[in-house]
Amino acid sequence: MAELVLPYSRRCNYFFLYDGSKVRGESDQTREGICYFYPEETPLDRQELLCGQLAGAGRCVSELSSSPVRILNLHRNRFAIRMEDDLLWALGCSVEVPTVSVCELLDQLINLFCFYNGSVRHSYQLNSQETLASRWAQYLSHLQSGSSELQHIFSCLMTIDSTNVDPLLLLKAALILQACQRCPLVLAGCILFKGRVVSTQMSPQLTMKVMVHESGTYTKPQRPNGQSSSFGSAVSSTAVFLTPSELQYLQSTPVDKDFSSHSTPHKNTPLKKTRLSRTLSDTPSSTESEPSDPGSSQSPQKLLSPHLSESSVYSSDPSQSTPNPPPPQSPEPPLSNGKHSPVEESLEESYYHSFHSNGEGGSQIDNGGDSSAFGENSHLNGGGVDGACGEEFNFRVAEESHDNKVSEEVSGRGCGRVQGHEVETPDPPRSDAFEHPGESPLIPMTLYLHRVKGLVLALLVEPHFLSDKASMEEVYHSSLASLNGLEAHLRSVSPGVPGAPGPYIFAHFDCIQSTLTSNLSGRPGGAPERPFVRATSLLHSHFCNTETLQEAIIRSAGAAVYGTRSVAQETYFQQHGGSLRNSGIPNHQDSAFSLPGKARHRLLKHGVNLL
Amino acid sequence: MKCLLISSQSAEVLFHWTDPEFYQNVQAQYGASQEDGHGLPAFEDSISTLFAPIIISCITMVDRLGDSYTSFTTENNHIYVLHQFDECLYIAVNGDGEEGEGDLRRKIYVMKKMIEVMFGMVTLSSNLLKRELRPQDTEQRARLWEHLQSLLETYSHLRENDQSFLVEAVERLIHPTLCEQCIEFLERRLVQQLNSSVERAGEEVLHAFILVHTKLLAFYSSRNASTLSTSDLLSLIIMSQNMYPSNTDQDDPNPEDIESTSGSGPESFYTPEPSPTDMDSRSSDMPVRESTPLFEFVDPDVQMAEDSLHTLEVPPPDPSTPRRVFLEVSLKDGLFPMMPHSMYCLPLWPGITLVLLTKIPTSAVAMSVYTFLEAFAKLEKRLNEGQEGPAATRGQPTIHDIRSKLDKFIKALGASEIQSAQLQNVWTDFKNRIGRGGPGFNRELIRSCKNMKTQLCGVYRQCFLIESGTADSPRRLSPGLQERAQTMVQDKLMDWKDFLLVKSKRNITMVSYLEDFPGLIHFICVDRSTGQMIAPSLNITERNVSELGKGPLAQFIKSKVWSLVSTTRRYLQKGYSTVTLRDGDFYFCYFLWFENETGYKLEAGDIPVLPDDSAPIGMLAWDYYRKLLRYYSKNHQGEVVKCYELLTVHLGVIPTEVILQHCRQLASKLWEPSRNPLL
Repeated sequence: MAELVLPYSRRCNYFFLYDGSKVRGESDQTREGICYFYPEETPLDRQELLCGQLAGAGRCVSELSSSPVRILNLHRNRFAIRMEDDLLWALGCSVEVPTVSVCELLDQLINLFCFYNGSVRHSYQLNSQETLASRWAQYLSHLQSGSSELQHIFSCLMTIDSTNVDPLLLLKAALILQACQRCPLVLAGCILFKGRVVSTQMSPQLTMKVMVHESGTYTKPQRPNGQSSSFGSAVSSTAVFLTPSELQYLQSTPVDKDFSSHSTPHKNTPLKKTRLSRTLSDTPSSTESEPSDPGSSQSPQKLLSPHLSESSVYSSDPSQSTPNPPPPQSPEPPLSNGKHSPVEESLEESYYHSFHSNGEGGSQIDNGGDSSAFGENSHLNGGGVDGACGEEFNFRVAEESHDNKVSEEVSGRGCGRVQGHEVETPDPPRSDAFEHPGESPLIPMTLYLHRVKGLVLALLVEPHFLSDKASMEEVYHSSLASLNGLEAHLRSVSPGVPGAPGPYIFAHFDCIQSTLTSNLSGRPGGAPERPFVRATSLLHSHFCNTETLQEAIIRSAGAAVYGTRSVAQETYFQQHGGSLRNSGIPNHQDSAFSLPGKARHRLLKHGVNLL
Repeated sequence: MKCLLISSQSAEVLFHWTDPEFYQNVQAQYGASQEDGHGLPAFEDSISTLFAPIIISCITMVDRLGDSYTSFTTENNHIYVLHQFDECLYIAVNGDGEEGEGDLRRKIYVMKKMIEVMFGMVTLSSNLLKRELRPQDTEQRARLWEHLQSLLETYSHLRENDQSFLVEAVERLIHPTLCEQCIEFLERRLVQQLNSSVERAGEEVLHAFILVHTKLLAFYSSRNASTLSTSDLLSLIIMSQNMYPSNTDQDDPNPEDIESTSGSGPESFYTPEPSPTDMDSRSSDMPVRESTPLFEFVDPDVQMAEDSLHTLEVPPPDPSTPRRVFLEVSLKDGLFPMMPHSMYCLPLWPGITLVLLTKIPTSAVAMSVYTFLEAFAKLEKRLNEGQEGPAATRGQPTIHDIRSKLDKFIKALGASEIQSAQLQNVWTDFKNRIGRGGPGFNRELIRSCKNMKTQLCGVYRQCFLIESGTADSPRRLSPGLQERAQTMVQDKLMDWKDFLLVKSKRNITMVSYLEDFPGLIHFICVDRSTGQMIAPSLNITERNVSELGKGPLAQFIKSKVWSLVSTTRRYLQKGYSTVTLRDGDFYFCYFLWFENETGYKLEAGDIPVLPDDSAPIGMLAWDYYRKLLRYYSKNHQGEVVKCYELLTVHLGVIPTEVILQHCRQLASKLWEPSRNPLL
């Protein structure tokens, strides 16, 4: 799969957010209601025209049908619309783009915004329009960038090419995530490599959201330089907001949570970080590791972490108001890099052997990176908070998080629980965020990112994870070596040579994981593939709209495309070469009708089973 | 929840149709604010107020952005389709999930087609058309709108229930011997006799055909007549069905039942029953108007004196008054759209109708008007494209070419009753202007062109839309002559009558195919070059039992066939001429292919890819296939190209190879050289 954006695949022609409540009176100008308009260089009168007309006509239709408008088609543009209260979002694409895809894109965009900023109304109360405009622009450019038209059709996750990667690496990635999950404050996570998913525990939608933060355009400007901390520049975090259903989904995943409650009595026992990371060899002995599990322990470490002060500042500060501040100062790391090494060594030993040598290399590289500041801080406060100031908060925060932990372990981790915690904290602005009327409550969470060069470990954690020094240390140290190893291996994997352009094209979409496998080269102006993409987009919409449809063959003069789907997947196949000599009359010897058989046969070697 | 609205750019309602549910919805939104007893103006006002913001926004978008709305979809799946023809904006709404965007767009185009058939070239002048669609007199307006509403309902009913209106091709009754006899009878006896009678008042019968319900038993065109296009023929069938609706749901129609109303019934206003799913409502409502309509704008008993109304759209109390219809005529010197004809629709028995189409004596005027209109339209286009005046006037056909013709034409009009002074003035003005040139010349000449077009349309309107002649001697086949024609055909078909009525419902039955094509459930085969189709009957009614049985299963298969047609059209629109689908327990196939005259299968060619909001694929409102054939024939010069379509529904368990073999056999057998499809 290619990384290049095809010239014709700019997905979005227009996007705007319009607040009708600001344009009520006769004298109110339309421009006052425009919260954001893309492309930003659009002349203001044109912005006003589009916003005013679309909002007006949309409202009129909504009143007639007593239901909000969802799609609005013009001759040259197709708009997906979302109307909530007085807010109206509209996203316009070329009419070539299937309706389902446009609607999905708009939903993705709005959800992304809410994920990082909380409710839209509230964000606009807290932040300047310019700040938020830059975020819309970021999200929009993220959604538009770096994938082929085919991926736009399916709105799929970008994954690493699993055919090129040793399956054991994927397994290793999964194990790292599982290990992190042993810390009860960690909900779920995913591992990304160069903007592609290696392994994830979250739903595709959630993974997609997390990936935005990771994407270079978003994080690079915030990365602090020249500072060093215990975790180096590698770690950062940001506040995020989950919907209740997302949280429920995460909590329903079968994570061995007994674990954490069992571990409560042991939380003061000395750390055994090595066991936190589950590996191939110790999987069967997970029960043994229970008593020694340090997942929730914190006291031995809390005094060691001067940078906790930043966390405390964070917790008493509305995070959404200062998401991109300059990097703060951080004291020296409490743990030298040298201390990591024995840990790594022991980890590596328990790992699959092939990782061993590379693991060390990885850690060395990590040492180099450690000289910069603790990236997390950059997100968390207005900057300039020094260590001394931090000390004051140190104990209070630690106690608070301790209390929370205890009560949480008693009552479980419902979303009500989380809110309760928020109310307890002296933090009025944050509690506002989800108590805003008229919108489904969003639950604040934290996204923790640990970057090892191109590799990123992203974890959704409880907000007070950041103030829980011990947990953080554990998660960090237990995964570090494995991540280094994984990074080194993934880096060495030859960049997926897009399967030699065979005598056929296929696209296989996994609806559950939202991943796409294809041998489409995706070169700019891939003229021969154009018919395939067009047919796929048509068939995909057809499949979306007709539940009972299982398979289809469609043929134009130039191309015959076969599409088939089951509950879990959609597959599209086109045979190349040998001009389709046909008269269009029904003929069972026609090559078009042999496509299903060929697809079944050919795609087996791509791991697609159509039988 | 359905609605169709035609509006001017100033949001003035030019026509509206709503189903009871939509009507109630609108009333509910206006609720108490409306007084009783002023049904028409109040409802018209409220619907206009409700839609005005959309209409105005639409116009603003065109003016300022050069783009405009084509459709809206709401979260509860209400669909609004908008289309602007010239200065008239059409809006079709569906809120009950029965129609998709394509159906609504088709409905809009069909409505426009019906208006063209009724008003001819007057539709080319928006100003005149607006006045025509919205007569000042409210009674007259109500009458016209009722007529259009009922046409629209007839069309919708046919589209939902009749396969020939589903695929928009004419279905023939399959009985070769009888068909042949009838054609011969129409030719040798009927048309000859009519055209040689003195009572024909200058009219000449060009086409005569017999309809059994919507199916064609026999069609005869006189030698000097041009072919009747499928689009026009389908429109005429809608009109005749509107006048004499078939009781297709009854196995044994009781003749007395309908004969009693046949005299006064033709125009009676049909109101659907509240339940939109009740397929039988139409027929049960038609003969006896027992239920009080939910909404009725005028007392149906109030009849206006014929003479006081100067448009054709007054329900003629006298059934012998023909309808003025405007149909396409292709002659050696070109294609002339919207040429005036008279249509006589003579009921033989309930369900069986004889239709005569005559050429009216003054039809030559229409041809001249069209030639002039075309010349001015082309000139205007050239001027709009920025060509300089003098250069523009030299294009083909040049103004100088038509100058003398138009002078003569105006002179001739002066001698007749037609008021042509205005045309004369505008023409003189135009001639003066064109000689001048100078700054602003183009703009003024464009305005002059527009004026000329309006005046020409006005003359055309006077000639063909307003009933000319005095009440004593109307220009038409005399009632006696009509009656004689009716009796002649009745005598001829007397013995066949009952057979025909049954046959029309069981034209082809699936039974005859089961043995040769096991697993085949249904098929439709269409010859697009002639606009004819063959399909096993698919009557889903309470009383009729087809091979599919009745009840939910039959209804299910019917709905599958209907959705298959719209699905394959969508693919065809995007350039795909072969589609096979495995859907649930069924396997659907669709093929479109080309042959030459000898039946040799031509290689599949590229099919143009059309935008989503293009005109609907079909033959009724916009002849897609004619354009497709023209497009394809470019690479097959000197060859007559024919276009066929085949749709099949099979059981999903049948192996694909067998299914494809079936399709192949059907395709070759159905249109064998004998042209007699296998029975």
